[in-house]
Amino acid sequence: MSVPILEIEGLVKRYATGLFQQKETFRLEADLTFHDSTIVGILGPNGSGKTTLFELITGSNVPSAGNVRVMGRNIHDVKYAERDRLAIHYHQSYQVRRYRRTRPSLLMQAAGHDYPIVHLFDEPQFNTQDGYIGFMLDFFRKLRAQGRLVFVCLHPNEPYHLELMEEVCERYVFVLAGRIRGFPNFGSMLQEPDIRTYLGKLAPSEAEHLP
Amino acid sequence: MALFEAHGIHKRFGHQVVLEQINLSFESNQLSGVIGPNGAGKTTCFNVLTGRFKPDRGQVLFDGEDITGLAPNGIARRGISRSFQIMSLFDEYSALENLLIALPEVRKRGFSMMRRLDADSEAADRASCVLARVGLAGSEHRRAGDLAYGERRSLEIGVALAAEPRLLLLDEPTSGLGADATARLAELVRSLKSDYSIVVIEHDMRFLFDLADTISVIHWGQVIASGTPEALRENKWVRRSMLGRVE
Repeated sequence: MSVPILEIEGLVKRYATGLFQQKETFRLEADLTFHDSTIVGILGPNGSGKTTLFELITGSNVPSAGNVRVMGRNIHDVKYAERDRLAIHYHQSYQVRRYRRTRPSLLMQAAGHDYPIVHLFDEPQFNTQDGYIGFMLDFFRKLRAQGRLVFVCLHPNEPYHLELMEEVCERYVFVLAGRIRGFPNFGSMLQEPDIRTYLGKLAPSEAEHLP
Repeated sequence: MALFEAHGIHKRFGHQVVLEQINLSFESNQLSGVIGPNGAGKTTCFNVLTGRFKPDRGQVLFDGEDITGLAPNGIARRGISRSFQIMSLFDEYSALENLLIALPEVRKRGFSMMRRLDADSEAADRASCVLARVGLAGSEHRRAGDLAYGERRSLEIGVALAAEPRLLLLDEPTSGLGADATARLAELVRSLKSDYSIVVIEHDMRFLFDLADTISVIHWGQVIASGTPEALRENKWVRRSMLGRVE
């Protein structure tokens, strides 16, 4: 089998407070593999770990355990200045890159690509008034058609947020309190009671979305 | 071959990648629009195209000539004239004087001649013509500083036209203008369309969708969509937005 575009294996990020007696305040765990180019929708409340997951994928946040491999390369072994050639994090309209340099780049791997393979869109500003949504969705589709992996992270608070996710995303990931679950399609995600609770009034009636 | 082209432009400022693989192509005798939300990289893109910033990678071609990394004056000399988002007029000077000092023949003669501008009736005639062209006939002797905001914007376009450009670049021409002034500006730009190759960078989509022959949409420092306004309007989400509504 060919090398997956993205492999997240046994990934753990823990945050703790306390100097002597460490108390864990947040723990994120993920195991996900994406073999083919896909548009993935990520949902979850604020503070659930969506952005942390993105940072771990782009190599701007160091995991407590586990690995992230993009096109077979461990992102933390890739030169800092070239990591964005593998995975790129767009925060709203800006692109974010901040790497804590813990090793000399000289000894690290090249990215091997000129243009990012994994594109992570963190809460893009979707506004129905200005028409940009249409261009943004087409851009996601274009990246996918080029064989890239696209993540669109959203905290839906308007019905059209879900509508556009259902339109463009093929797979889904739900993040709740650091727990990450993948779903093969929109319908199966909506079967989850946790997700229905999270979506509240936005959750479509179950009859509309049987898997 | 397009008149003005950008291939694979990449520009980074420290941690921030502002432009990523920008490809643009502007044809002669067309009005090409570039739109994008705030912070999308439009102005940086313009600054690379006009030589204010050197790209980290990529090429800018004007009429087939590689002008990547040339200084702004070198680019201007090749016939690319730019108006700025931030006004750049001499407020103490009259509208006519602002145009006179932008005329190529006056610029060539330099400072000594500029003090006797009024004596050069031929240059003054040409400046008056440009002034009329941008809808400011009769305002020759008003100080630029006394003109209304919309008139100043028109005068700025006049200054760019006085240089007899082969390509006119307008950076956010509607910024700061009210609805009436924007409508007047749209008429002015429309009237220039037949005689000039124009590139307009705007955040006001409606302004461009009404005027442009082709539009490129920049977001996240990349060209995320491009096409004719009609083709771009086909998109369901665009039809649902303000742009899609028929007035």
